[in-house]
Amino acid sequence: MSFLLQTALLARRRLLETLRQPIWVFMGLSVPLLYLALFAPLLTSLAGGPGFPRGGVLDVFVPGILALMAFGAGMGAGWIVIAELETGVIERFRVTPASRLALVLGTVCRDVVTFAVPAIIVVVVAVPFGFHAHWDGVALLVVLMALLTATCSAASAALGITLQQIGSLAAVVTGLQLPLTLLSGVLLPLSLGPGWLQGVGHANPMYYAVEAARQLAAGTIDSGTVALGFAVTAVAALLAIWWATRAYRRAMA
Amino acid sequence: MTAGAAVAAARSGAAGASAVRVTALRKSFRSRHGSVEALRGIDLTVPAGQIYGFLGPNGAGKTTALRILATLLTADGGDAWVAGVDVRRDPSGVRRRIGYVGQRGGADIEATGRENLVLQGRLYGMGREETDHRAEELIELLDLRGFSRRIVRSYSGGQRRRLEVALGIVHRPEVLFLDEPTLGLDPQNRANLWDQLRGLREAGTSILLTTHYLDEADQLSDRLAIIDQGRVVAEGTPRELKGRHPAAVTITPRPGASEPAELARELEREPLVRQVRLDGDGLRIEIGEVTTGLAAIFDRLRRRGVDVEGVSLQEPSLDDVFLHETGRSLRDAADPQAIEAT
Repeated sequence: MSFLLQTALLARRRLLETLRQPIWVFMGLSVPLLYLALFAPLLTSLAGGPGFPRGGVLDVFVPGILALMAFGAGMGAGWIVIAELETGVIERFRVTPASRLALVLGTVCRDVVTFAVPAIIVVVVAVPFGFHAHWDGVALLVVLMALLTATCSAASAALGITLQQIGSLAAVVTGLQLPLTLLSGVLLPLSLGPGWLQGVGHANPMYYAVEAARQLAAGTIDSGTVALGFAVTAVAALLAIWWATRAYRRAMA
Repeated sequence: MTAGAAVAAARSGAAGASAVRVTALRKSFRSRHGSVEALRGIDLTVPAGQIYGFLGPNGAGKTTALRILATLLTADGGDAWVAGVDVRRDPSGVRRRIGYVGQRGGADIEATGRENLVLQGRLYGMGREETDHRAEELIELLDLRGFSRRIVRSYSGGQRRRLEVALGIVHRPEVLFLDEPTLGLDPQNRANLWDQLRGLREAGTSILLTTHYLDEADQLSDRLAIIDQGRVVAEGTPRELKGRHPAAVTITPRPGASEPAELARELEREPLVRQVRLDGDGLRIEIGEVTTGLAAIFDRLRRRGVDVEGVSLQEPSLDDVFLHETGRSLRDAADPQAIEAT
């Protein structure tokens, strides 16, 4: 019980912090909307071609954009953690009896919210432009992407505590970002590519989430791909949270 | 004392009456240049209800010791009890009984002071109303009124430090640890904080602080341990420690009145005078005890008809104690190899 209360209190603190800097909310929203406005039109000529059902370009593209948003919302956590190592906030919390898991989940919850709110806005905005929303699928899609956000958030926090330096964290995160997103097919489905590319994609946990997301957006719920996407992402989230909790327990600086 | 109480007291050992007890505490860190011994076997008892200081240069091991006691680090060897609780066996029991204000302070700069206090209280399991009430109390006690609803980022150094001390005591800890509490504060804020810490002591909180400021150790601490290179080199009240070292008075006689060397030899015959050196135009006289020693010296000078032009008194300082124990002055003693705060 006190664990849930602590998580709620810490998440509330984080959300207040976000609300006080609304610029980040706008920035978070501007990236997907720019993709929709300036990149998606390039795809319309592909409609009806391989990988793109007729009149359904956005049905393929929106799930990928949501995956990018989830990645971006989660991966910011490490920067905040490093700033808090420097101001001693983490050390102060570590001396309190607060659960270490609650310390991790407070940030994870905030990141999930800062993903989900603009994500829903993007979905709603995409509908008049030709996104065919199957709402039960979209609801599950947001849940799946929230799991991906949680994975990224916890992994980023763990990296931040371990690396302790903004420069190293930036190098690792940007180094991971391109291979992880390209090899999951966020912009274009990997099924368009050669077999070896799909083969490499299978080694990327994010690939399963994006594949499942496309099926959910198309309204397919009870498929093996969806189940596999949830399973892989849930395991990744649990591992990342365990890693971050362990890092909080041992934080030295 | 009943037999039962005596047994209970014996069982908890000295820990019952002490805020902190430490035996043979050791800690090493691996660094790029090999292993650094931060603590080489420390034994200490910090009495309850006092302000106790760890004085030493940077890198002496003060912060390491404090972090072990605050459950942030685990020792390689030895034992430590805080408020009677074994740090190794029951770290969460220790956490409930202590407050800790690190060198970096730890206030959340994106939140208001009041939000910081309330969250801290709730994390210690205090109820909502109790926490609100306590926050108001602390805002009054540490003089935070006027800015408690502003974002901490906008605070001055002194305001922020007072908030951080308040954060350390929200849950009314038995023992409060402070790591270099007045680092970077101007003299007025420093004096204010000293008064507030004395107030906490009067209210029954045991305080253990680290400092590398001689005057802070001297004036604020009831007792102190001088720590150097991972060892306690001296321990006691400031008066006891300084009392082991002679005071010195430098007297400048009016020129031509008397031959200084001859005067020096004569003064050395005084029982309280330990040593006399010629120092420019003056005589530097080391005396074992200040008031009676000075009286005897002036008595003799008057009887010889020596006029005195100038007098200056150098009482022993904690730096003299440090110099005597380590062969170095505290100001020069920072160990560049040691890693502090890790």
